[in-house]
Amino acid sequence: MITTEPAAARTRPPLARLLDTAQRPSWQERPRAATQGAKSGAITLIVLVVLIPLYTVVMTSLSTQGSINQAGGMVIVPHGLSLAAYRDIVSGGVVGRALLISLGITAVGTCFSMVVTILASYGMSRAGSFGHRTILWVMMLTMFFNGGIIPLFLVVSALGGYDQYWALIAPSAVSVYNVLVMRSFFASTAQDLIDSARIDGAGDWRILWKIVLPTSRAVTAVIALFYAVGYWNSWFNIMLFMPSDSSKWPLQMVLYDYLTQNSQMVNSAAAGFQGAVPTLALQMAVVTITIIPVLIAYPFVQKHFTKGVLLGAVKG
Amino acid sequence: MSRRGFLTATAGAAGAIAAQPLLAACGTGGAAVKAGAASASLLQRILPHYQASSLIKPDYASVAGSSPAYLTYPSTLVRTVAETPGSGGSYTAITPLWGTIPAAGNAFDQAVNKALGASVAVSPANGNNYSTILPQLFSGNKLPDWIQVPTFWAPPLNFGQAAADRLADLTPYLAGGKVSQYPNLAAIFSSGWQAGIWDDKLYGFPSYTATFNYGYQLYYRADLLDKLGIGTPAVKSMDDLWDLATEVNDPKGKRWAMGDIWGYLYQPFNYALWMLDDKGNLITQYESEGIIEAMNWLAKAIKAGLVHPDQVAGNYGNGVTEFYAGQMAIVSDGSGAWNAADAQKGQASNKGYTRASFDFFTASGSGTPKMPLEAATAWTSYLSKSLSGKQIEECLRLADYLAAPFGSVEYNLLNYGVEGVDYTTTAAGPQLTSAGTQYAGSAVSTYNFLVSPNNTVYNAGYPAVTKASASWAQRNAGYGYQPLFYELNVVVPNSLSSANAFTPFNPTSGITYEVARGRASIADYQSTLASWKRNGGNKLKAFYEGVLTQQKKLGSA
Amino acid sequence: MTDAATSTARPPGGSAVAARAAATLPAATAPPGAARPGRRWWARLRRDRTLLIMTLPALALLGVFGYAPMLGLVMAFQDYDLYDGILHSPWVGLANFQQLFTDPGFWQAFFNTLSLFSVQLILFFPVPIALAILLDSLLSRRLRSVVQAVATLPHFFSFVLVVTIFNEAFGGAGLLDTFLRSHGVTSPFDFMTDPGTFRLLVASQLIWKEGGWSTIVYLAALSAISPALYEAAAVDGAGYWRRLRHITLPGLKAITVLLLILNLGYALSFGFEQMLIQLPAVGSGAAQVITTFSYENGIVAGNYSYGAAAGLFLGITSVIFILGANKIAHLLGEDGLYRK
Repeated sequence: MITTEPAAARTRPPLARLLDTAQRPSWQERPRAATQGAKSGAITLIVLVVLIPLYTVVMTSLSTQGSINQAGGMVIVPHGLSLAAYRDIVSGGVVGRALLISLGITAVGTCFSMVVTILASYGMSRAGSFGHRTILWVMMLTMFFNGGIIPLFLVVSALGGYDQYWALIAPSAVSVYNVLVMRSFFASTAQDLIDSARIDGAGDWRILWKIVLPTSRAVTAVIALFYAVGYWNSWFNIMLFMPSDSSKWPLQMVLYDYLTQNSQMVNSAAAGFQGAVPTLALQMAVVTITIIPVLIAYPFVQKHFTKGVLLGAVKG
Repeated sequence: MSRRGFLTATAGAAGAIAAQPLLAACGTGGAAVKAGAASASLLQRILPHYQASSLIKPDYASVAGSSPAYLTYPSTLVRTVAETPGSGGSYTAITPLWGTIPAAGNAFDQAVNKALGASVAVSPANGNNYSTILPQLFSGNKLPDWIQVPTFWAPPLNFGQAAADRLADLTPYLAGGKVSQYPNLAAIFSSGWQAGIWDDKLYGFPSYTATFNYGYQLYYRADLLDKLGIGTPAVKSMDDLWDLATEVNDPKGKRWAMGDIWGYLYQPFNYALWMLDDKGNLITQYESEGIIEAMNWLAKAIKAGLVHPDQVAGNYGNGVTEFYAGQMAIVSDGSGAWNAADAQKGQASNKGYTRASFDFFTASGSGTPKMPLEAATAWTSYLSKSLSGKQIEECLRLADYLAAPFGSVEYNLLNYGVEGVDYTTTAAGPQLTSAGTQYAGSAVSTYNFLVSPNNTVYNAGYPAVTKASASWAQRNAGYGYQPLFYELNVVVPNSLSSANAFTPFNPTSGITYEVARGRASIADYQSTLASWKRNGGNKLKAFYEGVLTQQKKLGSA
Repeated sequence: MTDAATSTARPPGGSAVAARAAATLPAATAPPGAARPGRRWWARLRRDRTLLIMTLPALALLGVFGYAPMLGLVMAFQDYDLYDGILHSPWVGLANFQQLFTDPGFWQAFFNTLSLFSVQLILFFPVPIALAILLDSLLSRRLRSVVQAVATLPHFFSFVLVVTIFNEAFGGAGLLDTFLRSHGVTSPFDFMTDPGTFRLLVASQLIWKEGGWSTIVYLAALSAISPALYEAAAVDGAGYWRRLRHITLPGLKAITVLLLILNLGYALSFGFEQMLIQLPAVGSGAAQVITTFSYENGIVAGNYSYGAAAGLFLGITSVIFILGANKIAHLLGEDGLYRK
């Protein structure tokens, strides 16, 4: 394996090393300065427009009541920092257990949803297969016609789902939107590859497993991400099916608890909040805590649908 | 996707509505027309006879029903219950809690149970979901021995029927003179007990009873007005208020005169939900002249730029913070906003922060101000019908302990916990420790939701707040009056529940809101009112006229 | 849309063939063993039974949790009363629909929905595509990942938080207006409460919140385009813009059309939470959409039948929209939701 990389790496300018710039492919033109400028400008704008509000969110979560009072709301320039909001949330061990429950539900739910979705998407992706359009329509109708929460609740509780974990997974296990996207990607898998495999005697299961899935890593990663985020964020199902058993609550429900804390206090004589954490700080801390797991997990998923990976695959 | 959000908001925002379908499964029929308690004489017979108890003389005595107030915490506590009340019984209870739910069986719970001599296992449930839990417990017959049911969540439960079917009738134990064997219970104002009467029977224990209970008052930043050289303003009419507002308003300096004070305007403009017009006919507040004047006034104020933009836009979430920041000088809020916690938060950035309140006044400046009272309490708890007579008696003795007044040993335990563990005694009164804040302390101690004594005002470490709020209450309690249907637990039939929701007049999204913001005219308001009347409003009025006639006949109206 | 399978199998011949292979619709040739007209249906059923079995789990789940609750929509034809339940509430035929269609508030909501949706379609829809192409053109892998991750973050903020943040910046007491006031402007423009510019506000909120997240699907599609195609085209003398037009955009065409159609299908249920939060700020004239109308007049007022009728209307029109959009896509030679 001849490679000139070590030498090149040593002589690469520090900025390039920092940015991990790949070598420009030989066929690509050098960009004009104006293009470079425009691109950098756009990228800087995007990053700022997101990071500045995020900064105020984090800053507010770290602010004292005095700081929030001075700002009259969200804090940009802090006048006093404190970790009280985070300490308040994390202490008591409830968040820890809720985190584990959330991870469990997300993991199980995503795997379950992925299996069902991959099967259904492939099952409807072969042109001309019997009834695939009918089945597609049957599924799509559920996206538009909805009886509302009352009938859904009745169905789930009739099946004994009240206060059960499966009620947090099964009703939303299939997202027809995700099925449609995945199906579209599967449908474009080269038919000749599949045909040659069929000639070789492979059945549909083998084709799915050995041909279609390995070449659809990007869409699988994307749909898995969609499902995982969906499960991670969902608290609606919890509100509906598991409202009272707080020991079973996933993270979102516990955090929702903190969001609504202090929001309605009884007119009582000795309601002295000694050292109560400002509500706004608490709310922003909840938002920040919700984002952290995403920030941690995201890079792992990201590499599956960015060009770098596939580029490597082609080189060989 | 957006559809998801639709369903989410449905469950969250309209919690009570989501709860109702479970009753549909039971298929209970339409509710009959039943009011709380009928005649005055019947009331006399049912209500426990009030016997005032004054262990410690309050610094601000109760005047015309105001809550007694204390500047300092007593150094010696009085024991009101001589022997341990319980006899070893074991009970389950469910109460709402707006805050972090403490771990079960913690040291504080154990201490309380030891003092009670019985085991009362309270399972606090999230206050925000409480309205969804209640129907499930009632319809599924899964009630605990003791349960808190706030009166504002009772209607969907068809409570008159539910009480008869599932709850223990306390009339034989507490009516009239029978309450005298429970001196602490007897010391609770009668107005509190009245809230727990359904279908002419006494069912409920009251908590946080306050006779002088009202919706809103008008607050202002006293220190801010001082700084501006205005001092203590005398606001005796809406014109006075307008003049003050224009003087204080300074948007360039990021200070607006007012928040959205719509909630308060019923006081000066003199309207109540159900009232009599000049000719003595029954009308709703929406048909009064006062409400039209109120809308016009607020519309003028908003147009003149006197109201904070966030409040104009309906973003109320940050309102208190904006008040602390001095971005609003005058706001309307309930009595619960004026306490130690408020002072502590406000002074975090501004040592001089001082909340003050205008006395009640009339819009024109002439005549006596009036404030329609709200029910003395909305917090009532009930015992399960499945309890035996002996158990009920034990619970009553426990309730007597729980209702021990301010200044007693029992009250101290229930609201502050065990000395040294949950609180320490300082010069400024009992100070909760971190353990105390988590488990004890009345903010978390849900025993108060089983039964608690009359509301008393005490602000540890902030006697100035107590002075100001208690003297205000003494001055203004006299303006309170009992409006029509006061504390009458009227159960409206299902066909009228939609009209009874008064949805078109929702204060933050309805027609009054739009008129105040100049997006609708008074003519639009009148047509909305006419439309409401056509779609059930007139029938609702007829129903309430029937109740009124019934009351008159029985001599209690 | 080409995919990795085609790229690993080196296209025979020169660049012209490669370019053509990239641009043609996938699998244009009829595969052996596919439906031949006249083949007995049971034979096809037997041949495709595995595929059908694969769809069963999803169908079962949707049947139980999608279709069973759908029966609740019969409420639309009843005068639904909570205490009588579905079984005992009286039937009123089309009365609810009649009430719905004669309610001027409903039509206002309907046209608001369409207009808000159209503006966001024009302003928002192209943004993730452009962003994906921009990111894809970055040489630095790390920079690309970081920027993409950052741009995705606002997706995790609830609309409540998004509106709060916008309010902090553009509200009457926000940064912009405070700045303007301190420089002499007496009544500065309040972007958050002006009904006239509300559509613009809605689109900008969507761009900020969902722009980054929506690039993910397009990035996945872009990653499937073989770089050999670009190389071949460049060698043939195609500059950046020609490569964009002939390789990149066609590569994205299928997924774009699919998402566009789905978007149109959801057009009428557009914007529930976003509008509900901002109704108090701009008034129902600007912000009332069908879903909020249905919520306020149906659920909040306790009139479930009315809400169900609106929901049914919504469903039917959405299906019509999707069918129409799919038809147009077919006419333009695209696969759309499914091949004809």
